[in-house]
Amino acid sequence: MNTAMSAIIRKDFRGVSANRRLFSSLLILPLLLVVVMPSIFIVMIHLMPDDPDTAKLLAIMPASARLSSMELTLSGMVVNYVLPAFFLMIPISTASIMAASAFVGEKERHTLETLLYCPLTLAQIFRAKVMASFLLSMLVSLISLAAMFAVVETEAVFLMGTLLVPSISWAVVILLVSPAISLIAITLIVRGSAKAQSVEESQQSAVFLIVPLILLIVGQFSGILLLNVWLLLGLGLACAAVAALLLKTAMGKFSYERLLQ
Amino acid sequence: MEAVMIHSLSKTYPSGKQALKDLSLSIGGGEVFGFLGPNGAGKTTTVKLLTGVLTPTAGSCSVMGIDPARQPEKAHLVSGIVTEHAQMYDNLTGMENLLFYAAAFGLPRQEGKARAESLLRELDLTDAKDRRLASYSTGMRQRLSLARALIHRPDVLFLDEPTSGLDPESAQNVNQMIHGLARREGITVFLCTHQLRYAQEICTRYGLIEQGSLLAAGTLEELRGRLFAAKTLRIRAANVLGNPNLTECKLKRRRDDEFEAEIRENEEIPALIRTLVEGGGDIYSVSLEEPSLEDIYFALTDKRNDSRDNRKGEAR
Ligand SMILES: Nc1ncnc2c1ncn2[C@@H]1O[C@H](COP(=O)(O)OP(=O)(O)O)[C@@H](O)[C@H]1O
Ligand SMILES: [Mg+2]
Repeated sequence: MNTAMSAIIRKDFRGVSANRRLFSSLLILPLLLVVVMPSIFIVMIHLMPDDPDTAKLLAIMPASARLSSMELTLSGMVVNYVLPAFFLMIPISTASIMAASAFVGEKERHTLETLLYCPLTLAQIFRAKVMASFLLSMLVSLISLAAMFAVVETEAVFLMGTLLVPSISWAVVILLVSPAISLIAITLIVRGSAKAQSVEESQQSAVFLIVPLILLIVGQFSGILLLNVWLLLGLGLACAAVAALLLKTAMGKFSYERLLQ
Repeated sequence: MEAVMIHSLSKTYPSGKQALKDLSLSIGGGEVFGFLGPNGAGKTTTVKLLTGVLTPTAGSCSVMGIDPARQPEKAHLVSGIVTEHAQMYDNLTGMENLLFYAAAFGLPRQEGKARAESLLRELDLTDAKDRRLASYSTGMRQRLSLARALIHRPDVLFLDEPTSGLDPESAQNVNQMIHGLARREGITVFLCTHQLRYAQEICTRYGLIEQGSLLAAGTLEELRGRLFAAKTLRIRAANVLGNPNLTECKLKRRRDDEFEAEIRENEEIPALIRTLVEGGGDIYSVSLEEPSLEDIYFALTDKRNDSRDNRKGEAR
């Protein structure tokens, strides 16, 4: 990493914080996902009457997931099975918004050509841009994560008088799955960026990444999937492999002539 | 070493449009080269080839000995590039923009800042340096682009239509700044424009291009000599008609006191005037009318069209 590349990364970061519309679109989804949604779940579980159907559902749960009260068990499930899937939307959306702005946004504002005239190879510019999007995506994800646990644990202490213990799955999500799918989102945006003429158009190329995630959420809710940590690890490794492959081939499609079309 | 070498360069776009046909040129260090031609002549295509963002279909070129098609990043290190589509960031101030490009060109922060400040001063932008680019006028943007292109002290400055879209006063301004900077920093300038009048004010040598082919290249004197055998000397004088040697002077009367003489060399002027004065003439003014760049350009395009018509005639 040379100084020129870090200058590009710093500039892209500044571009986000200076653009109010971009900044708020980056913040809204995480806020909704990590503060509002978990709170609704926790409060709902707290207010829910003990009904036999939920008791039956709980009976098929692995013993390790069962806790002293039904309320705690259900809340634990939400925290360890449902919230990770919600959380993964954050790296996807942040990475997409940032990558679209970093690649297509520069093209739209006619600043890409100037950037290409810098003494950097296309590969270096490409890497700097991917890095900027990736770092921002990880930063926003980690901040969201901290906010989410702060909110959820506060509510748990307040409503149930105890902390909810996150499972080891969270480590896999944070360290492997989230970086991997954020890279996938970035490369998908970048691949589409040569053709796309506007930021909005380019963001759409990563929208379908959300679909498997929604399926995952539905699956977790209905108890079909209930991913254990090994499955999650496998999924994360698969995502990382896909990300690496996409990153390699996306670079190959990069050329001055394609970029300046 | 020549600063810019172009050898049999051709470019055909994927659409099939042949934008450049077998162009050869060389530009020496410190020259201010005017690359002139109407819209669509192939000027921008040439600049894109010289800056490595297009690859040639045939032929080759080099900038300070570097092939921009092979090593664009090295070529960019010695080139400053101003084109219509190379804009800067609206959300940053003039100064912040320059600092970013200084860093992108690998300048240490302090050096970048000093260089940016001196360029802003030279380009008369010091008062606006802390304003966001969004509030800049077109002329100010163009001057900041010049500063941006010069931030890393390039050897060659490529300017593609730097004064198009500016009002005459700003255009004049930018033009003078290019002139001053080029001279002071000893930079080689490759200036593309269709505005011949501005070019004539600052360029030391010219290349005229039309439909992708070079029509001619040379200094103004060389081009004049090649295209115009004679120059016109305009004289306002009285009491010359009675001069016995008048026919020798080949003077033609235009109006009451206005005369014209066709001459080939400037050295003919003193003798001619002496003859008139010695014959009792009173001279009020003498002016030598030399063909302008525009005259040369039109003479060249006429000539080309003539020869094309002739060829068509022969074919028939
Ligand atoms: N990307 C492109 N694809 C196809 N044709 C192009 C492209 N760019 C320019 N041209 C054509 O090439 C010719 C030369 O264009 P250009 O170099 O931009 O001329 P100038 O800068 O002298 O006005 C024009 O006829 C133009 O229409
Ligand atoms: Mg042009």
